[in-house]
Amino acid sequence: MNDTYEVEILLVEDNQDDLDMTLRALHKANLANRIQVANDGAEALDFIFCQGTHAGRRMENRPRLILLDIKLPKIDGMEVLKRIKNDPRTKTIPVVMLTSSREQRDVLESYNLGVNSYIVKPVEFDSFMAAVRELGMYWLLLNQPPKPG
Amino acid sequence: MRADQQLKASLKEIDDLKAALDEHAIVAITDPQGKITYVNDKFCAISKYSRDELLGQDHRIINSGFHPKEFIRDLWTTIAHGKVWKGEIKNRAKDGSFYWVDTTIVPFLNEDGKPRQYVAIRADITARKLAEEERARLAAIVKFSDDAIISKNLDGIITSWNPGAEKLFGYTGREAVGKSMLMFIPPERTHEETDILARIARGESVEHFETVRIRKDGRRIDISVTISPIKDNHGKIIGASKIARDISERKRAEAEIRQLNTKLEERVASRTAELEAANKELEAFSYSVSHDLRAPLRAVNGFAGIVLEDFGGQLPEAGRHYLERIRSRGQRMGELIDDLLAFSRLGRQSVIRQRTNTARIVQEALDELKPQREGRQIELRIEELPLCRADPGLLKQVWVNLLSNAIKYTRDRNPAMVEVGCAHKNGEAVFFVRDNGAGFDMQYADKLFGVFQRLHRAEEFEGTGVGLAIVQRIIHQHGGRVWAEGHVNQGAAFYFTIEERGKP
Repeated sequence: MNDTYEVEILLVEDNQDDLDMTLRALHKANLANRIQVANDGAEALDFIFCQGTHAGRRMENRPRLILLDIKLPKIDGMEVLKRIKNDPRTKTIPVVMLTSSREQRDVLESYNLGVNSYIVKPVEFDSFMAAVRELGMYWLLLNQPPKPG
Repeated sequence: MRADQQLKASLKEIDDLKAALDEHAIVAITDPQGKITYVNDKFCAISKYSRDELLGQDHRIINSGFHPKEFIRDLWTTIAHGKVWKGEIKNRAKDGSFYWVDTTIVPFLNEDGKPRQYVAIRADITARKLAEEERARLAAIVKFSDDAIISKNLDGIITSWNPGAEKLFGYTGREAVGKSMLMFIPPERTHEETDILARIARGESVEHFETVRIRKDGRRIDISVTISPIKDNHGKIIGASKIARDISERKRAEAEIRQLNTKLEERVASRTAELEAANKELEAFSYSVSHDLRAPLRAVNGFAGIVLEDFGGQLPEAGRHYLERIRSRGQRMGELIDDLLAFSRLGRQSVIRQRTNTARIVQEALDELKPQREGRQIELRIEELPLCRADPGLLKQVWVNLLSNAIKYTRDRNPAMVEVGCAHKNGEAVFFVRDNGAGFDMQYADKLFGVFQRLHRAEEFEGTGVGLAIVQRIIHQHGGRVWAEGHVNQGAAFYFTIEERGKP
């Protein structure tokens, strides 16, 4: 991975179907310039905290948005969210839960842990495309994040 | 002259004797046929007749009817034979009251030894007789009582013992009288007797004291005892009466009930645990449905959409049509899953009831249904609605579902009419939503509230068939009832009861 390469979106998703569709939606919305994909929670944490296979990466190059599924192999989305929001170096990165679960306890727990948005992946194709497009637009183009550091 | 004087003196003597007799006794004289020829004042007083009412009357005027025929016959036979008769007789006074007299009847004989008249001398023994009767009655009560009735002196020595006591403790009267009460008292309870005797000596009673005593056969029995002081005529406490009852059976029943309760509690606890486990499992199941069933569905829809988007132009009309159908059915399956999850969540959700403004809830429901009402001409009629006691969130779901149905099934009506109101029947608030829509056949009314039960094809009216099942579940959770009335093409009405809480 090129260290100078600035990642805009970290997409944490283990389901290849959802991954393909999310990527397609981001492409269609012209938001897919610099996307990093992680297939499980451990890989996501390695990337975010510059460890393991991403040990050479620099913490300052924070992704501008993290899209996080809840059900993930190895380390689940809630745990990843907790680690991001508990670390002063990463807590200001917007994290959007993009998940299948509309269970109230998942929604509540996510917000308790400091998630920025919680989006249930729509089953309907057009809605799914629209949801990904809109959340990307908002968090990458409209939202004004605080300066890191 | 001397004879005359002697006679005078003797007559005086007789008069004095008679006066003395009248002073003490009740005296009557009858002729041999029993007709009254003389009564003294005491006779009049006790019989409550005047002398005029008595003289010349048959003596039977004061018969009470108490004594058997043989008794009366014996009396008359005795005196007719010139012999003195003595006995106790119960008579009846003029006012119907009874009195007892100790009676001596002396026949006065003529020269040929036949009774010339009978002189009856009586003493009033009514008080004594009544006391005797009372005593006999009490003795009978004591004798036939099922309870043990015992008396003892202040040293705890038994002075009387009834058959009930014999039955309860197994000792006969002969074995028990003269012995100490201590012989029935378990060693660890001997202090009870000391306490009881001390309280009795102070003039106190001990009521329904539950304890344990030992029978002659060594068996321990549970008894309830009431002990009261016995006083002599001068009010001095001379002992105690004790009434004891066997409560072993009651104690056994109580123990059994306690045991049954414990068992019941255990069973409830174990059932509750089972139920909780089942609930947990259900929760895990629906969680997994929520996550895992949607993902492949999303893929089916998504890729059908992508094929349409990317290659739609290259596909023949029929191919595009089938892909559209795949998407639309996939979408429907998504709705079914969502509704099913919503329905199953209801079972796990706790109902928090509070005073709820029904009118406001109905308005919120209508606001929520704005998109569905868009472009429709619907005549909404909302009557005044009372407050009710309900979980506001769940109640709103009920109104949303019912109103949504009413709006949906009046789609082909112009004007469409939807009426909301509340009627009171048998002191119960019955809320209703009525429409002039498609209605339904009453013979399928019971199917309306089943999960995934539909009376219309999806092509006619869209829907998953969960809405009314949710309504029913919520209303049942609130302890209410829900039912429907309708006719094909003549509208439907849905009713439900819920606890009312005054006027808004």
